[in-house]
Amino acid sequence: MILLVIKALHLSVAITWIGGFLAVAIALRALPGMALTSLLRWDRQVTTPAMGLVWALGLLLALRGGWFPAPWLLAKLSLVAGLSMAHGMMTGRLRRLLASTDAPSSGFLPVLAPAIVAAVVTIALLAVLKPFSAP
Amino acid sequence: MTQGRRTQRGELAQLRQLRWASLVEGTTLVTLVGLAMPLKHLFGYPQVSAVLGPLHGLAFLAYLWIVVSTVAGGDWRRTEVARLFVAAFIPFGAFFIAVLLRRKEAVLAGAT
Repeated sequence: MILLVIKALHLSVAITWIGGFLAVAIALRALPGMALTSLLRWDRQVTTPAMGLVWALGLLLALRGGWFPAPWLLAKLSLVAGLSMAHGMMTGRLRRLLASTDAPSSGFLPVLAPAIVAAVVTIALLAVLKPFSAP
Repeated sequence: MTQGRRTQRGELAQLRQLRWASLVEGTTLVTLVGLAMPLKHLFGYPQVSAVLGPLHGLAFLAYLWIVVSTVAGGDWRRTEVARLFVAAFIPFGAFFIAVLLRRKEAVLAGAT
């Protein structure tokens, strides 16, 4: 029962985190300054804490489920770490954009949102199917 | 408050956050290596590392996230960024980073 509650909480904060992250990834390309200010505030107050909770609850789940060091879990953790670092980079760029007139580097911005979605789909498949596990 | 002053305050807050994250990460690493690992491997007492291991993992991830967010939003030399990353893997490295960050904070605070 506790495992299921943690799982539900983990999913809730993951949805909140990825929703906020996608909003930043899309807004950095399109929105004017005022909207970006609200978005940065939302990111600080909601999206980033949600990401921290995703880590903590995910770790708790993995420990309680006895899933360490299953290959599917390590692959999932690598994707989550990659998503987290990309989110950190976007938050930094957003802060910089609001602090000065520098435009953020547009190198990977056009592919960021599709890449986030692809990573999330892969993470969901790994978590649900648990491939490469012993039968 | 002017835009420049607001920016400076924001960067100072970011540096302060990074310094605290580095101290927390460094403290959990030193405790893990200096206390939990010997207790587990020399005295057969794994409970401390079972608690501290995941805690250090979270502190490590949080520190890396704040490093990435900080350097993506400011002007940092590559050697400084490399030092921030390498320090996370070396016991006591974080404490040297805290000194570096404190110096940067002082420079930034005296900039205007």
